[in-house]
Amino acid sequence: MQRIHQIVALFSIAFSAFVAYDALDLEYYDSLGPGPGFFPFWLGTVLGVLSLVWLVQVSGRSGRPKDGAFLPGQAGIVRIVSSLAALVALAGLMNPLGFQLTMFLFLVFLLMVLGRQRLWMTLIIALLGSVGVYHVFGSYLDVSLPLSSMAILANIGL
Amino acid sequence: MDTFQNLLMGFSVALSPQNLMYAFVGSMLGTLIGVLPGIGPVAGCAILIPLTYQLTPTGAIIMLTALFYGTAYGGTITSVLLNVPGEASSAITCLDGYAMTKKGRAGSALAMAAIGSFIGGTFATVALVLAAGPLTRMALEFGPVEFFALVMLALSLLMGLAGKSMIKALMMGMFGLILAMIGIDPVRGSPRFTFGRMELMDGIGFVPVIMGLFGLAEILENAEKPFAQVFIAKIGSLIPTRKDLHDSIGPILRGSVIGTLLGLVPGMTNSASSFLSYIAEKKVSKHPELFGTGMIEGVVAPETANNAHSNGALIPLFTLGIPASPTVAVIMGAFLMHGLIPGPFLFLDHANLVWGVIASFYIGNIMLLILNLPLIGIWVKILKIPYGILFGIIMLFMAVGAYSVSNNVFGVYVMALFGLIGYLLRKLDFPLAPIVLTLILGPMIERSLRTSLEMSQGSLDIFQKSPVAVVLLVLTALILVTPIFKFFRRGKEAIGEDDEGA
Repeated sequence: MQRIHQIVALFSIAFSAFVAYDALDLEYYDSLGPGPGFFPFWLGTVLGVLSLVWLVQVSGRSGRPKDGAFLPGQAGIVRIVSSLAALVALAGLMNPLGFQLTMFLFLVFLLMVLGRQRLWMTLIIALLGSVGVYHVFGSYLDVSLPLSSMAILANIGL
Repeated sequence: MDTFQNLLMGFSVALSPQNLMYAFVGSMLGTLIGVLPGIGPVAGCAILIPLTYQLTPTGAIIMLTALFYGTAYGGTITSVLLNVPGEASSAITCLDGYAMTKKGRAGSALAMAAIGSFIGGTFATVALVLAAGPLTRMALEFGPVEFFALVMLALSLLMGLAGKSMIKALMMGMFGLILAMIGIDPVRGSPRFTFGRMELMDGIGFVPVIMGLFGLAEILENAEKPFAQVFIAKIGSLIPTRKDLHDSIGPILRGSVIGTLLGLVPGMTNSASSFLSYIAEKKVSKHPELFGTGMIEGVVAPETANNAHSNGALIPLFTLGIPASPTVAVIMGAFLMHGLIPGPFLFLDHANLVWGVIASFYIGNIMLLILNLPLIGIWVKILKIPYGILFGIIMLFMAVGAYSVSNNVFGVYVMALFGLIGYLLRKLDFPLAPIVLTLILGPMIERSLRTSLEMSQGSLDIFQKSPVAVVLLVLTALILVTPIFKFFRRGKEAIGEDDEGA
């Protein structure tokens, strides 16, 4: 666990250095007072100092984090990565395939593959969650979810 | 008298059929979110915000606040029946609540918890009505200097209470502030950290960030283990015995006061109120050794306190414009999205709205009492839905919510990214609450600081000239510096023991 804490602290230092450096491109101060770069510069600097203190803490013996596995078992990792990948795929496919088809496939994957639900249950929920949500949200909440950018799918209402 | 007339006007707004429906929907969704594992009030409110765009501001705020205080009711059900707290604030209820279930007295526990919650919530609402006038008058005297100092004090309290590691809490606070810098600079209008992307011009969008950090991260954490099926014990009679009623009077009164007072303190979570009221009951009890074996006091006191806390936490938001907890910060975000700035001017410029929302708290609490007593069977049935189905449905609504913020898939990507970040931060025991607070308050903090410095042509003396600001900033410094002294004195600091802070 100590190594992971150290890596995250180093990453945080790098991130804060980037923020402070990028803020230098913005105006720091002018005749009226602090400019757009003032706040981000100091935020980046303070975060960098805090990250450095944290790095020292976790690297010292007294501040060593509790032992224990950071990552879950292999099956857990597969479920976590699959859930995230499915979400990214949903975002990537929503415009080309349209909300209804993409959400249908997303729900089938989540419920059947990850949730291990029966086929009929999966199909009912996937249909309600895709076609049903599209129409309910569009008609009653004025939330317009996207149709497919492909004419062949858009023409049949998907 | 003015207050009473305003409240009557508020009831005329809150009792309109449309607003009654919004209060009902919010209460129902709040109970549902409280019951469901894998989604808390912060993510619940964030998901609902995009769906309230088309509503009137009054309707939207009524629905969101009802959802907020409704979750405290719902969390009780799983604590008592399953020994699994639906919300962190109901964790302490498990001790005696589940013990009562094992004795076949779940019905009494749930009934008394709902009654206590109702009284606690109503008590805090009365406190809000009484405090509104004096606090608002005081806040109207505040300029940007005092506002900046007040927000700094609120944030320092929050960070001081967010976990055992002040360094981690401060880091998360800075991270939230940096995220808040993305977009157009609020004073000069120049873009910052947008990397040429149009989607970032309006900022990163707190709704997808919060859904990711609080909703998706929790789902990913639950996905570490196989999805399990729950088994629910029988509820038994919902009618409490005369002894239960008698034994609950003291805990309800004490829980109402503790919850309301702690709700006022930024950074104090519902869990702290529940825990302290449980401890208080144990102290005053003639049989403290029996706590944990199914004492009704151990159920009623924390449940009353966490509901009083939820409503009490809205007092600083409505009167001073300061959110006291992450969920209240999300509600504040909803105010801003509807073009309203919470705080004293709300009472002057939108009296109908603010009094309508306050009146709706009474109505919402009555609705929740009905939803949680005669309709308890519905929630028990929902609990029986396998998590393998629930998590899919939660993901569906989060994706739709993230998309509909700006009708763009960019929000879904942001949510996925912050889901991963939130998951990793939870694993490393970082408190997430400071991110939400600073993300939402960031633009206001920056604007008030820069306006103050522009007023003084860059001189920090302006902060010394205001006695109120001096007192608030000294308190802030003390809160932030005390743990550092402790750290150097002890030469060590516990790492990895923070609570979730949300």
